Amino acid sequence: MNIWDSFKIALSSIWNHKIRSILTMLGIIIGVAAVIIIVAIGQGTKKQMTDELFSTDKNAIDIYYEYIPPEGETDMFWEEPELTSEDIQTLAEVPGVKAVVATNQGWGMMTHDDEQGEMQITGVGAEFFRARDIQVVEGRALYAADNDGLNRVVLIDTIARGKFFKESENPIGAIIDLNDNPYKVVGVYESPLPEQFRNPETGEMLMPRTVISMMFGNREIEQLQVIASDPENISETGRLAADTLTADKGLENGQYSTNDFEDYERELNTMISLLTLLIGSIAGISLLVGGIGVMNIMLVSVTERTREIGLRKAIGATRRKILLQFLIESITLTSLGGLIGIGLAAVGSILVSEFSPITASVSPLIVLIGVSFSALIGIIFGLLPANKASKLSPIEALRYE
Amino acid sequence: MMKLSDITKVYGKGSLEVPVLHGIDLTIEDGEFVAIMGPSGSGKSTLMNIIGFLDYPSSGTYELNGEQIASAKENMLAKLRNEHVGFVFQQFFMFPRDNAIKNVASPLVYAGVSRRERTARAKSLLEKVGLGDRMKHLPNQLSGGQKQRVAIARALVNNPTILLADEPTGALDSNTSEQIMKLFTQLNEEGKTVIIVTHEEEIAAYAKRIITIKDGCITEDRRVSS
Repeated sequence: MNIWDSFKIALSSIWNHKIRSILTMLGIIIGVAAVIIIVAIGQGTKKQMTDELFSTDKNAIDIYYEYIPPEGETDMFWEEPELTSEDIQTLAEVPGVKAVVATNQGWGMMTHDDEQGEMQITGVGAEFFRARDIQVVEGRALYAADNDGLNRVVLIDTIARGKFFKESENPIGAIIDLNDNPYKVVGVYESPLPEQFRNPETGEMLMPRTVISMMFGNREIEQLQVIASDPENISETGRLAADTLTADKGLENGQYSTNDFEDYERELNTMISLLTLLIGSIAGISLLVGGIGVMNIMLVSVTERTREIGLRKAIGATRRKILLQFLIESITLTSLGGLIGIGLAAVGSILVSEFSPITASVSPLIVLIGVSFSALIGIIFGLLPANKASKLSPIEALRYE
Repeated sequence: MMKLSDITKVYGKGSLEVPVLHGIDLTIEDGEFVAIMGPSGSGKSTLMNIIGFLDYPSSGTYELNGEQIASAKENMLAKLRNEHVGFVFQQFFMFPRDNAIKNVASPLVYAGVSRRERTARAKSLLEKVGLGDRMKHLPNQLSGGQKQRVAIARALVNNPTILLADEPTGALDSNTSEQIMKLFTQLNEEGKTVIIVTHEEEIAAYAKRIITIKDGCITEDRRVSS
């Protein structure tokens, strides 16, 4: 008797007990489907989060102030030290630093002719345009002199230009009204925002940061970013820049720090791996329970078919042949469950990808692992019933009622 | 030739020991037609199981064609059953979901015979037992007598030397019983050793040698001259 004969006997036995087989397979189906979907979602999420966090501005790193309370004090009021153009100059001279982006923020109501709308204002220096690769499409960029001289000049983005100015109208030199104060438009720049993030109702504008500081009363530099000439050394360059600034400012109860991307990435990976492991073990328990179900039903099957086993032995089946037959039956049962589980997982992954931003995909490797694992469960939990069947005495088995 | 010497069989252990056979000495030549008779509990079925390699004797020796097999391992017994013995049971014992051909061919599966060969042999044997028109029928579509014919064809499929039948007509009416016994007689005339276990005189009357067992001992061994 070859494996194929055993397999056919196994299939017909499963087919003859359809409902029982389906119920038995359910544990395996759910377990395998859960494992595969969770791994697929985990991988998809990891890829997506990694892409989002690290793909844009890969060579830019933020520098921020961190307050360190003196010994014994905890919740003291503290103030960030003022940063000036001189500090930016210091940072720009740090080895590996390509550019320094120092900005502050403002928000205002802009009026021009009959049009009125809110504007997001970013206060920048002359270096901003090169560092961020801002494309000026009309007029000019900002000069260092605009900051030094507190010139009340602005650049508007292409969205604001479309909203406030007619196509034929030349915005350069126009005097616009912002929070009841006049400013002169000196340029129009291509909005760097990706299409999907643009709000057609509002635009953005750039202004010398000294002017924002003066008009809005906030600090001249609120956000500080260093752009490294070599993206590979971004973390080292950022740390060096932060340390240089800390030393230069002679800080006592605080320091400048950077977000370490590698730490982020490592933390993220650990978190996702941990989550996958956790849910994976729950799925593993489901597989274990499913396996016990298989063992139970196989034991029932052995008892029910005692006379068949006796007859097979009487016509010359050896222990090995009987063992193999029942083992193949349990492997077929669990593998079939595994395959159905994979099919379910594939459908689930498509649904997840369709209705959520996560892209979950079932890889061929995981399919292979899924099938082999469910077959392994068939072997492990089929061994005991198969062994029981093979050890039946032919006379007692034939006499069994 | 089968030669059983001082065969005993004891069931259970220790104080629960139940002796079933007490020192059976029996020689059956090839081509004999033997009936083993005795009341229930006499040990005739146990003797048949030992002759048919379904069970081990507790002591004694068993020679088949001059080879001693009393101490054979279970795998060896399975092989001997497959090669030398064809069983026919009172309850027929069919594979209920397989048709007549598949039921007849089933021992060949364990003998490693190819599918084509299996089907061919099964078909010719079904013709021989008079079921040429019932080959594709399932067991539940066959009468008791027809089922027993399928069982006999199955017993013959491996071309065994011994045909062992345990109360083969026990579940059949007298008319059908007669047909089945005529089939056994025919097979014996063709050269098969036929051993039938029965408690019915009429059935035993077909045999050429009648062995009577009582309380685990052979009490009578007579040859019937026809």
